[in-house]
Amino acid sequence: MNAKLKWVSLSGLLLIAMNCSAFDLRQSLKDKLNTDVPQINPKLVEAVNVVKEARGPDEEEEIAIGRQISGNLLGAAPLVKDAKLQKYVNQVGEWVASQSERPDLPWHFGVIQSEDVNAFAAPGGYVFVTLGLYRLLQNEADLAGVLGHEIGHVIRKHHLKILQQSQLVDAGGKLLSRQVGGDDKIQNLIGNGAEIVARGLDKDAEFEADRIGVVLATRAGYDAYGLPGVLQQIGHFAKDDGSIALLFKTHPLPDDRLDKLDSAMEDRFDRIKGQTLEKRFYRVKK
Amino acid sequence: MKTKLINSISLCVLLCAPAAGAAESGTLTKNDELKAEPFRDAKTLKVLAAGDKISIVSKEGGWYKIKAGKSSGWMRMLSVRKGDAKKASAATGLLALSSGRAATGKVVATTGVRGLNEEELQAASFNAQELQLAESYSVSKADSKKFAAKGKLVARPFDYLPEPK
Ligand SMILES: [Zn+2]
Repeated sequence: MNAKLKWVSLSGLLLIAMNCSAFDLRQSLKDKLNTDVPQINPKLVEAVNVVKEARGPDEEEEIAIGRQISGNLLGAAPLVKDAKLQKYVNQVGEWVASQSERPDLPWHFGVIQSEDVNAFAAPGGYVFVTLGLYRLLQNEADLAGVLGHEIGHVIRKHHLKILQQSQLVDAGGKLLSRQVGGDDKIQNLIGNGAEIVARGLDKDAEFEADRIGVVLATRAGYDAYGLPGVLQQIGHFAKDDGSIALLFKTHPLPDDRLDKLDSAMEDRFDRIKGQTLEKRFYRVKK
Repeated sequence: MKTKLINSISLCVLLCAPAAGAAESGTLTKNDELKAEPFRDAKTLKVLAAGDKISIVSKEGGWYKIKAGKSSGWMRMLSVRKGDAKKASAATGLLALSSGRAATGKVVATTGVRGLNEEELQAASFNAQELQLAESYSVSKADSKKFAAKGKLVARPFDYLPEPK
């Protein structure tokens, strides 16, 4: 599929999705209006639409947005061609995500071909870890903690909120979103989506995702200290190392994240034992 | 316990080949007790001070087995930060070895691996094939339960952590 064409369809998709739902609702309310409750004030109908728009895209739209972003991310870095590895991260990821309050999202996990050290989450349940990060993991609990952090971004809709904000805040964006079809102006407005996952969230969102990662791993039966262990390892990298530049740009420094986790975890995990499963951990070839 | 420890040490030697022999260094971020065993209620051997340099021998749960001068014992992992002044060179070494990168941190051109900086992500174009492939690996809830059971993973309730003040 042609990139530009597909891109247009993203903008289109996004806009159609948003417009469509508003339209459907309006239509169904109109139907209702014409049948059993003719006395509904059209202003109320408008208000319902406004509320729906303010609440943001529903789950189907959320997944469509995440799909599009993930397709773009995979355009930058394809999957590692190792089916066993991909299946393995999906098994761990699905199990960890099942412990969250959104177990029924269609979760997808993948390891992408990049020696950078990073991980990405996109709305709707898409989570990707770079091969460079995967190589740093020593056991399944480490993997569970890292995936748990990204799952945290998805269930709290951290990226989705940024997407919505950028559309709501920008008055031009609102105007543009009424034109279905998409053009360069819209493209500039939303970016290609992959850029959204590269963009830094605010620090609090990152700290929150860390706390969620530790808890989800624990709920799943793993040792809680996988994620902190990986952060220790990452903090060990030189800050000017190119392979980790984007991670350091988009996340608080590992030492700060460890400080925050330390204060949040306190002694709550002292009596909690968990599995690390280093024997089962799928190791990639060098 | 003992075999577990030995296991994790041999594992570390295997994984941390570049650093073999030399334990990783760390620094205490706060005063904390050196314990005889990796438990809160274990006997306190000594109190170490923030800034003390230590070496990390192994990890177990939230604990590092460490050496500090002539004493050794267990220290809470989160009271330690890995690394010291030699950070930069150590990291380059690790990277160069694990990823086949040149020591400069640049990707070796022949590997054909692209980087993932913001510009590259912005310029990326949609790859429908890869997306389909990614989605083909998804695992059902029932399968993930079987997988968990095989690893003796037992789901348990645990509250989310409050935001620390
Ligand atoms: Zn994050």
